[in-house]
Amino acid sequence: MSEHQLRVDWPACKGHGLCAELLPEVLSRDEWGFPIVDGPVKNEVLAMARRAVKACPTLALRLTEQPPRHA
Amino acid sequence: MTSITTALPPAVRNHVGLTPGVSQGPALLAGIAQGPGLVAHRDRLGPAPRPSAEALVELARDVDLRGRGGAGFPFAIKLAAAARRRAVVVVNASEGEPASHKDAALMTCSPHVVLDGAAAVAHALSTREVHIVVPSELPSLRLIVEKALRERATAGERLKVQLHDAEPRFVAGQAQAVLQLMAGRENLPVTSWQPQAVSGHKGRPTLLSNAETFAHLGHLARVGAAGYAAHGTADEPGTTLLTLRGDAWDPQVREVAFGTPLEDVLDEDEMRRPLLLGGYHGTWLRPAQLRGLTVSRNDIAAAGATLGAGVMLPLAEGWCPLVRTAALVDYLAGESAGRCGPCRNGLPAMAEAVGALVHDGGPVRRVEELCGLVVQRGACAHPDGTARLVASMLQRFPQEVDSHSLGTCRSGREEELG
Repeated sequence: MSEHQLRVDWPACKGHGLCAELLPEVLSRDEWGFPIVDGPVKNEVLAMARRAVKACPTLALRLTEQPPRHA
Repeated sequence: MTSITTALPPAVRNHVGLTPGVSQGPALLAGIAQGPGLVAHRDRLGPAPRPSAEALVELARDVDLRGRGGAGFPFAIKLAAAARRRAVVVVNASEGEPASHKDAALMTCSPHVVLDGAAAVAHALSTREVHIVVPSELPSLRLIVEKALRERATAGERLKVQLHDAEPRFVAGQAQAVLQLMAGRENLPVTSWQPQAVSGHKGRPTLLSNAETFAHLGHLARVGAAGYAAHGTADEPGTTLLTLRGDAWDPQVREVAFGTPLEDVLDEDEMRRPLLLGGYHGTWLRPAQLRGLTVSRNDIAAAGATLGAGVMLPLAEGWCPLVRTAALVDYLAGESAGRCGPCRNGLPAMAEAVGALVHDGGPVRRVEELCGLVVQRGACAHPDGTARLVASMLQRFPQEVDSHSLGTCRSGREEELG
């Protein structure tokens, strides 16, 4: 089974920080308050990751099954 | 080869107002002496062939054709992915990097070499819809392309071509930014959730490539894989365009075969100075690394650098590579579109930290920390490219970094000291 990843829509993210509050296992914040994705989403925290995605006020967080990719 | 040199139209110039010289090359730039017209082009080469998508994918795979916008993605994979119904072809000639002039040179000296490639791809994908993105700061380039398109229409080519004017900023040529422009939105990068070949312009499969890539494809379709391999090496067939000293007083565009020794591209004096390879998002190399190096993706990768879009910037006489890097990071920080938080905050912070290191002996640790903080955290690779430049400065010039920490470096500081 493929691991889930959190991806940030960077232009949409305004650094509110709710996601990092809800999911400190995977997300931390940089010195300006923007999220740092520390690794893949393990199954134990998958439900919480879904809540973090829903909690984002600017809808800037997504849960994907692919590894992060650059345009 | 060479000896014939032409100047671009006067309106094609770098940011210090100089027009790059263009030398005749072995393949894409072979016809520059005949001018940009269609008649001379067809007299020289005959009609453009129209291979099927399968044949074109196979040709591109045979010669391992890579995209020439900088990332070097295998073209065969992109073409195969885009070969579905209602595809769109996009020729990106916007060249946001201020030290690169090779696409402008190609589009103005030999537009039909590019347009043959675009027509071949459009035919292979069974589409007539072709978009060409031109740099708005070079109006003469647009006029030349418009004229070339009129010639082709008169000759019976039935493509629906639309021109788009990219904004004069570093990130405007990035693929997602180009799709935004085509959609009538601001010409800035956005997050891509799928490859453009899968879902690009209006959600349709979109083959978006650099102008030089299309030129290679047209040439490849014409001469075949064996003909294409007449230049280059067994591992890397073909040629590549280079911009030499693109932001200096004597910029030059050249086409060289892969495997060409760097000594044949740079002069003796330049071989003894640090080289910034791949442009402002590129990598520094020390003079000792230049000896024996060839213009080859593999060789250059083995030296820990990338060819990128073929920009070569030898450090000017008397300059310190750290002072030069600090100036470039200042520029790059100013070119952030300001949309993504880590780039909007991180690049100015990095410019400040590099400036502090170079001019006031500030801490290296802060620079390293910021390099780690901005990578892979943006809609486009602008922060990544800036971090790459800075990281290569730290890696290649440790002694110079030390001498700046101690305040003992004197090179390149004359102006500053007044």
